[in-house]
Order: sequence, then C-alpha cells, then structure tokens
Amino acid sequence: MKYLVLLIGDGAEKPWSEQTEGEQGDAMAKFGEFDAACRAREGVELLAGEALSDSRDATVMRTTAGRVALTDGPYAEVIEGMGGFYLLEAPDLDVVVELLRILPPYDIQIHPTVDVTL
Amino acid sequence: MRQEWGRLVALLLSQFRRLDLVEDALGDAVEAASRTWPVDGTPDNPAGWLMTAAKRRVLDRLRTEGVAQRKLPMLLTDAERQQEGARTMADSGSLVEDDVLRLVLMCAHPALAPESAGALSLRLVLGVPTADIARLFLVPEPTMAARIARAKKRIVGAGIPFAVPDAAVLPERLDIVAQTTYLAFTAGYAPGSGPDLLRADLSGEAIRLARVVLGLRPDEPALVALLALMLLQHSRRDARVSDGRLVLLADQDRRRWHHDDVAEALRLLTGPVLAGPVTPLTASYALQARIAAEHATAPTADDTRWDRVVGLYDLLLHVSPSPSARLARAVAVAEDRGAAAGLAALEGLEIPSSHRPAAVRAELLARSGDTDAARAAYDQAIAACDNDVEREFLERQRASL
Repeated sequence: MKYLVLLIGDGAEKPWSEQTEGEQGDAMAKFGEFDAACRAREGVELLAGEALSDSRDATVMRTTAGRVALTDGPYAEVIEGMGGFYLLEAPDLDVVVELLRILPPYDIQIHPTVDVTL
Repeated sequence: MRQEWGRLVALLLSQFRRLDLVEDALGDAVEAASRTWPVDGTPDNPAGWLMTAAKRRVLDRLRTEGVAQRKLPMLLTDAERQQEGARTMADSGSLVEDDVLRLVLMCAHPALAPESAGALSLRLVLGVPTADIARLFLVPEPTMAARIARAKKRIVGAGIPFAVPDAAVLPERLDIVAQTTYLAFTAGYAPGSGPDLLRADLSGEAIRLARVVLGLRPDEPALVALLALMLLQHSRRDARVSDGRLVLLADQDRRRWHHDDVAEALRLLTGPVLAGPVTPLTASYALQARIAAEHATAPTADDTRWDRVVGLYDLLLHVSPSPSARLARAVAVAEDRGAAAGLAALEGLEIPSSHRPAAVRAELLARSGDTDAARAAYDQAIAACDNDVEREFLERQRASL
C-alpha cells in the first residue's frame, strides 16, 4: 500500500522559526532517524519526501467549465501550515504510524493512494 | 454457535481477506443451518459445518465477481508482512499468534471512531445482530448498518491491518479495546424510552466481549479492572427499573442485585493481576470498581461508607481528573458531611451541555431547605437535559419541592 503523508501543522512541536539552533538540529536529526528507520524496515520504501516552501507560495488551480482559475495561497486553512510530505510504501497503517512516531510531534494526515490504471 | 462466531470470522478473514464478504457468508451459513439442522439433525462438528458452508459462499461470490473486479482492495494481514519478513523476524516470541485477537484489535483500532469500533466489535467478534446493536446505541437500524459498513470500508481503505502489533504497542492497543468495550457497555445504560429504557441485556454483550479478550490475554490489568467495574454496575440491572421508571441507587431493592456478579468482581479486584503497578486507565477502572464495590457490599443505603467513597474519589481525581468524577465526589461529600459541604465541593464545576451539575445542585439546595434556589437550579437542569426520561424525572423532583 502507498501512503501520502502530509505534515500539516506544527502540533506539539515549537514552530521552526521560534526554535533555537540546537532545537532545529534535534528536529533535523529526527528526520534523519526516520529516513534510516524506513530504509531498515523491509516492506517499507520512502518513494518521495520534500519540505515545502512557505504556504503563501502555493497556488490553487481550479477548472470551471474549461476555464482555469488560479488563486494564490493554499487550498484550505487546514493545510496553511503544511511543512512537508512523504510518499511512502508500507505494509499497513500500523507500520506507517509506528515509523512516524520518530518525527517531531507534528499534526500529520496519512492518506492512502489508490491505483488508477488507465 | 454464538461462541464460535468470532473464531469463524477470524479464520475466514485470514483465509480470504475480504471483510465485505466474510460476514454475509457466515450469516448465510447460520441461516442455512437454522433451516437444515432441525430436519437433518445437528452435525457432529457444527463449527466445521458452518465454516465449510461459509467458505463455499465466499468462493461462489468470488467466482461471480470474476476477473473484472480482481483489483478490489483486500484486508491487510500480518501473514503478508511475515512473507515480506517485515517485522516478525526480530522477536517472534513477543507476538501473540491468535486470529481472534487480530480480529479484536482490528475492530477496536484507534483509527476508527470509538462508536464504530464498539459496534463493529459486537458485530464481528460476537455476532450480535445489527438490529440489537442499533437498539444498544439508540439509533435506527439502517443508520447502524451504514455505520458498520462504513467502518468495514475504512478498515480496508485506510490499511488498518488484521494483525497483532509489536509487544511494545500491544498494551496501548489493549487499553483501546477496553475503552471500546466500556463505551458499548455504558451505551446500554443510557436511558432510552419505553421498553428500551435500559438495555442491560445488550450491556451484557460488552461483558462477554471483555471475557473473550481476557480468554486470550488473561493477565491484562486493564481488562481485569474493567470486567470488575462492569460486573458491579451490571449486578444492579434488575433493580434499576421499576414500573418503567429509573430507580436511584439508594432506593433500589438490594435483594434484586446479582450477588454472584458482585462476588466475581471482588475476586478480580483483590486478585494478583491488579496488585502490581498499573497504567492510569487501569487505575481509573479499578478505583471506579472499588467505589461501586462500596455500594455493592453495603447491606442498606444508610450503611454506605461514604467516607471511604470520598477517599476513593480523591484517588480517582488524582489518577484521572474529570468533571464527572468531581461531580460524583461532590455527591459523596454531601452524603458524608451534609448538603452544605456537597454544595461547596460543587463550586465552580461545569460540564458543557450537561444537565447533571445543575441537577445535583438542585437536589442539594432542596435538602438544605433553599427551595427558591433549588427551583431555579431545577429549571436550569431541565432546560439543559435532552433525554426525555431524565427530564421527566427532574420535573417530578421539581414539582415535589
């Protein structure tokens, strides 16, 4: 099963910009640890993962009756704080949750992908 | 048959991994049995007969679905993980190999809404009919059928596995099983209307669920404490309703309490499982059970050791502070030291969208002779109460001032 993991908010983690250099280093170490844990775990593969730029840099694209409309900013308030994502292959939800416990305590949305075969 | 339901569901799931088909197939098999067994006689191995009949039905369905739908999502099992060598190599001794436990943990998975988890557990582990589960949770049957169907879809869609997690996470997951079970239990004691005022028979199913899990994990403190708590509350089932009305604890006919349940609960509470250090959830269940035990062992309402009850509530508030525990403590304080002390203990206590704090304050004001204030508090409680039975009770109390 493939999962899209969205890091949608700081949650219990102090916002990045308010963290000391030491705290930022600790958070980065957790990302490294997560990466290593995924690699060490059979049946798990990190297919993609990126940090995202400021949510104000995001663009929403909507198509109504053939006309494309672009708006600046993220789609909805709930993902205004989205800081990054992973695309992860894993056996099941329990394995995903277990691995994500390694990351800083962000609010996270875990969303399975579906196979769309054309 | 009902004892075998969970085991058969679990076996069928581990074999076919089709949560959408298994339960219907087993239901059909049971229905066929109810037609043929009375005529042909009960087979030597009833469970085996049902298993074979249910398997045949699943295979029939799979055949008619054919090639077109082969990509239907399947339940994930840890059998697969083992093939992939994913996690079990580390320490197979820390894993419990049991299909029924897998089923219980899947139904009470933290990624399911608690009410769905409770309903699904009763349906899949115990085979309780959907109509009865709907009655338990006071919702129409189609609503409950849809809720159960949605939960099953979500299990497959979200990738909730039919699996026993790592030993490190297992206690946490069993705590959730306990919470799910208790939610189903208390649903039966939420006042409904008419003949369904209380649904103690269905609360009994939650006790059965706890016994199934304890059969698999006999030394699980959370479940031992929970079973004791439920047995003590359940022991009063026959005395709680009289002439279609709720009867308060103090007014109940104690001869109608089930003293065998009380005795079993007391054995559980004093047994070795709860003697060691326990989680806050377990401590909270055990303390609530010990409070219920004070009532259960008092020969009359007047003999209740309210001082001990207050002491137990103090401990409970320390372990797991909650407004409802504070409210119950205030009631106990009023019994122990008088209405004025009870009112003082209620000071500043509010439970959003609950009529209970106002109802207790009204009762205590009435006892201390402040009829006007009592009437005002009753009005407040009546306005906030959304349960017909309890509102009628409050209106009668107000009228008798």
